[in-house]
Amino acid sequence: MRAVAHPIPDHVPETLVGQFNLFTAPGMTPTPMGDPHAAIGMLLSGPPIFFAPGNTRNGEGTWVVVRAEDQRHVLQDGVTFSSNRNIFSSALGEDWPMIPLEIDPPAHGHWRSLLNPLLSPRRVMHLEPIVRQRAVDLIEGIKAKGTSCDVMQDFCFPFAVSIFLQFLGIGWERLHEFVDWANDLLHGTPAERTAAAHTIVAFLDDLRDLRRQEPTDDFMTFVTQAEIEGRPLTDLEVRGMAVLLFIAGLDTVAAAIGFDLYYLAQNIEQQNSLRAEPDRILLAAEEMLRAFPTVTPVRRATRDVEIHSVLIRAGDLIACPSMTANRDPKEFSDPDQIILDREDNRHVAFAYGPHRCLGSHLARREIVIGLEEWLARIPEFHIKSGSTPMTHGGFVFGVENLMLDWSAKEAN
Amino acid sequence: MRVKVDASKCQGHARCWTWAPNLFHLNDEGYLDPGDIDVPENEELNARRAVKGCPERALTLEE
Repeated sequence: MRAVAHPIPDHVPETLVGQFNLFTAPGMTPTPMGDPHAAIGMLLSGPPIFFAPGNTRNGEGTWVVVRAEDQRHVLQDGVTFSSNRNIFSSALGEDWPMIPLEIDPPAHGHWRSLLNPLLSPRRVMHLEPIVRQRAVDLIEGIKAKGTSCDVMQDFCFPFAVSIFLQFLGIGWERLHEFVDWANDLLHGTPAERTAAAHTIVAFLDDLRDLRRQEPTDDFMTFVTQAEIEGRPLTDLEVRGMAVLLFIAGLDTVAAAIGFDLYYLAQNIEQQNSLRAEPDRILLAAEEMLRAFPTVTPVRRATRDVEIHSVLIRAGDLIACPSMTANRDPKEFSDPDQIILDREDNRHVAFAYGPHRCLGSHLARREIVIGLEEWLARIPEFHIKSGSTPMTHGGFVFGVENLMLDWSAKEAN
Repeated sequence: MRVKVDASKCQGHARCWTWAPNLFHLNDEGYLDPGDIDVPENEELNARRAVKGCPERALTLEE
């Protein structure tokens, strides 16, 4: 479908139409042993803003803002650059926002105030023992089965899903059912995606109704009992929050841990140094968040506005790939070097501005704990001989078929 | 040394708190409240790291 020529709005000068597209450019399509972050990093040698035709799932083009400073300008101004796109519901032919991501200021602030305490740094500290136990259980299960695994399917993905289930007070025994739904939703064919979306919405709606009748102490009970501006939440508002909680924390966290292990499997010296000195993992995880971020936030202009004297019309979409901002030489010294002890590291893996990832503190703990437990329990690992990891671009970068093998060390 | 806090720019990344938990106090939502911060001598290195770590540029150092 994307091979079809995509329309370019009349106000976009021909000279600003780029070849790049998050789905179809070299390194963005599924690529054997790829390095999609380096591939998109090539944009830093081009203009700071350009137009990318067909840069969304429905074929609409977007502007692409390449530099960190310009992305900060766009993402900090949630009034001019709206996040209200209803992408999940519109794919189902419906019209409701995921909350709080698809709500704009000033209403957005009320929703954040409601939810921020649930995911604050202090609250996340209390979740740490559960997160660690989930990681340990999964890794020990993998070890019991052999000396290799597909670490995305066997660890990263179920780990992220299990934390979501914990939030919703759903038992571990339903993990595989949810992993299948998530796989279909995020990686399936268009028909599988739609079917999974309906299944997930129906499940979350049922859970909402159940928690209204029989409250417990989980996230869903909290939101069904909460008030916003002095009134209880509507059914669609509860759904909008639950759906966002589901999709925001799965692929993103799984892919982040996946890219870290992909890097460490190919850089044995760094892998062994972190295994020997686990205290360094905290800083190393930040550097890998900088080098291998996964998300491209997209906004829609609410009025005509200029960036670098380029006219953005009201209604235009603007994409801000975190990958280019995180390798911007004006922001970071030696941006293409991965320096695991890097201190000056104000990266944008969790976006800038009012929509800063609500789950960022939890995501950070999941990534750090995942790496700590993996490195502590799995000896020196490599990419399994004869297997080929596949990387891809898109709005959430990822790595698939990441077969890791530690049989050589286990035999010693 | 003082850290000037532009609380309107704080978006709760909490990088300052990670570097210098004794210096930067987050409210229940995980954000900094308004108010500049005096830095004792033994916290100067952490304060510098905190200022450099803020993705929003909400903190500036005054020496």
